[in-house]
Amino acid sequence: MVHGVDAEQRGPEFGWTDEHRALRATVRGILAERAPVARARELAEAGERHDPALWSSLARDVGLQGLALPERHGGSGGTLLDLAIAVEEMGRVLYGGPFLSTVGLAAPVLLLGDDERAAATYLPEIADGVLTAALAVDTWVEDRVAVTADGAGALTGTVPVVLDGADADLLVVAACGPDGVAPYLVEPGAAGVERTPLETLDLTRRAARIQLAVTPASPLGAPGRGWEVLAAARAAASVLLAAEQVGGMTAATELTAEYARTRRQFGRSIGSFQGVKHRLADMSVRVELAHSAAYWAAWQPLGSPAQAYGAAIARSYCGDAFLQTGLDTIQLHGGIGFTWEHDAHLYLRRARADRTLLGTPVQARAELVPAATTEGIPA
Amino acid sequence: MTVTEPGTDRVALAADAADAEIVAAVEGWLQAHLPEDWQDAVARGDLAAVEAIREDPERGPAWFDLLGDSGLATPTWPVEHGGLGMPADRGAVVTETLARYRAERHQRDFVGLVLAGHTILEWGTPEQKAERLPALRRGREFWCQLFSEPGAGSDLAGLSTRAVRQDDGTWRIDGQKVWNSYAHLAGYGLLMARTDPAAPKHRGITYFLLDMRTPGVEPRPLRQMTGDAEFNETFLTDVVIPDSARIGPVNQGWSVAITTLMQERNGLSGRPAVGPGEADRLVGRAVETGAWEDPVLRDRLLEAYVEEKVLQMTTVRSFVASGDAAPTAEGSIRKLAHSVLAERLGVLGLDLEPDGGTAWDPEAGSEAADRFLAMKTYSIAGGTSEIQRNIIAERVLGLPKDPDPERHLPFNERGRS
Repeated sequence: MVHGVDAEQRGPEFGWTDEHRALRATVRGILAERAPVARARELAEAGERHDPALWSSLARDVGLQGLALPERHGGSGGTLLDLAIAVEEMGRVLYGGPFLSTVGLAAPVLLLGDDERAAATYLPEIADGVLTAALAVDTWVEDRVAVTADGAGALTGTVPVVLDGADADLLVVAACGPDGVAPYLVEPGAAGVERTPLETLDLTRRAARIQLAVTPASPLGAPGRGWEVLAAARAAASVLLAAEQVGGMTAATELTAEYARTRRQFGRSIGSFQGVKHRLADMSVRVELAHSAAYWAAWQPLGSPAQAYGAAIARSYCGDAFLQTGLDTIQLHGGIGFTWEHDAHLYLRRARADRTLLGTPVQARAELVPAATTEGIPA
Repeated sequence: MTVTEPGTDRVALAADAADAEIVAAVEGWLQAHLPEDWQDAVARGDLAAVEAIREDPERGPAWFDLLGDSGLATPTWPVEHGGLGMPADRGAVVTETLARYRAERHQRDFVGLVLAGHTILEWGTPEQKAERLPALRRGREFWCQLFSEPGAGSDLAGLSTRAVRQDDGTWRIDGQKVWNSYAHLAGYGLLMARTDPAAPKHRGITYFLLDMRTPGVEPRPLRQMTGDAEFNETFLTDVVIPDSARIGPVNQGWSVAITTLMQERNGLSGRPAVGPGEADRLVGRAVETGAWEDPVLRDRLLEAYVEEKVLQMTTVRSFVASGDAAPTAEGSIRKLAHSVLAERLGVLGLDLEPDGGTAWDPEAGSEAADRFLAMKTYSIAGGTSEIQRNIIAERVLGLPKDPDPERHLPFNERGRS
């Protein structure tokens, strides 16, 4: 299996470095200036997808898209951990650009796929911010993948919900072919591709239905290893999703604590009532535990069984925890939290949509059965 | 690898040694020093045999003397007091390695080894350190905590046990303490008593190291809901102790107590390692009883499994982190999460048992029932979950402190509960 970066570069678990802190501050700074939550709302209400100018500047000025890509592909050779830090910051402000789809989901398939030609074609463009990509997988259960690839490599089938699928410049589609399930590269303009933008629960992210009818496609990587590559990419994406959820939970908890400190009723701030402060304390506990889950997994070697294990733990814990945070955020804001104008519902929408993006928490727990019963925690 | 310095029994181990280095040094030392039948019993997984040696009145203490002199029982203590001078996360690797050989100190030594040890290290006089620390290191003295009172539970600073300075400089103590684990077996107790009733409640308390054999100290076992009697109420009647038993300045006992309480909260959520835990044990038991085939029970178990691992990851993180949050609040977060998990596991454990787990053969006993009945310990002992939530809300989130109209009143002018 591919282990992208050695432990030396990542350092010991939870041992933050000055570089990590500097990266966080840089990303937080640019997002605060150009993509605060108000901007996510503005884009959502305008029905726009994202802010292409910001996308270019994230690539050009900060190098975020190429942060964890190898230098030979135009990246800066960082780690998934670096990406997790950046994505956590995006989660705080509900950034809705195609970062998770392009950098979190599609790029790892290209990176782990052992297909040097495809990697050399697309990864530099991703790093430069001139190419966006989407990963289309109709189910994360290997023997139920319904999109098929015929002998000539043409794909047929439907993927009901694809994150950022409507306007990605490149589609990576999981399809069941002669050598089992594998990732295939599809040009969106190819024959038989139909992309239908969907209305989304999460107003800050876009999704589309993708239908393929005998669409020409090229298989990625070595035959027979396709599912392994997809699963490893999904584990990496789960780590990033968890980090993003931590960002969302942190911001929602801070927002709620601020409200509890300043909103006054019965002659005192509502945060002085135990009914309020204890619920907030529980929110704080969930944030801390979710943080540990996301970053423990981020610290494991890319593509390793330990990372897949940590990713399943994080997908279960963070998926449930963010949803509860969303509910509590609205509850503690009272009536104002139920209004369209308040940001609380944006977090709740994101929380629920995230929960099924890469498989549900229940599915994540089912994936932990071997570790819990016979195999133990992967070293 | 050299595991002992020539002429001494101390393990030679750098304070900042890497994990693998620590494990190798500790294992090397254990293989050279741990009795052979103990090592054999560990190798074949015969925990009952190990326990028999640990509890043997001759062999147990002999082992803990040796362990204490090696420095491995107290890895985080300073070198000059027989420790290894390690930071918490390095020390945890030592303890973890000892635990794999069941060679670590008894769980019941927690109050002595951890609470008394760190409190004396931080606040003790040179004489107190010289007198008490060697015995603590070797497990020769058994300690209890004399903090709570019938009228001072969550509001611990409201305690009313009096300590009055006598003309000859000694202190006379009168009062009643409660929830004192193992006080009936302890040689020493960590005691807080009121020394200035005219001061506000936090500012009139003094902390003592009480010799439990002093006349007038009378522990009476209290039977817990489990049926066991490990804790006590302790009556203190005309107990006269020297001023040398005082630790920390007069009337500043609350500050000393914070040291003890922080150690307690930090110590209640397990060792900093991601590995098999109570949830894994329950999964194993569920497979055994067939409960694992029930998809609902299986998901509940896996949910608890996930929470246990996430808590373990958080404990690892907190041992590495330096100053993301105030240590007290961080300890409270883990303690609260641990309490919630312990309760969930206690309930689940009984659900996995055949026939609902409510009846069993008398000779077989029921470990699941014992654990079910003990599970509420965690959300009450060491500060209730409600108190932990207050601490988290106030220190992490900056919410207003709970109103306490008596906080600044002289203690003797407050209302009585």
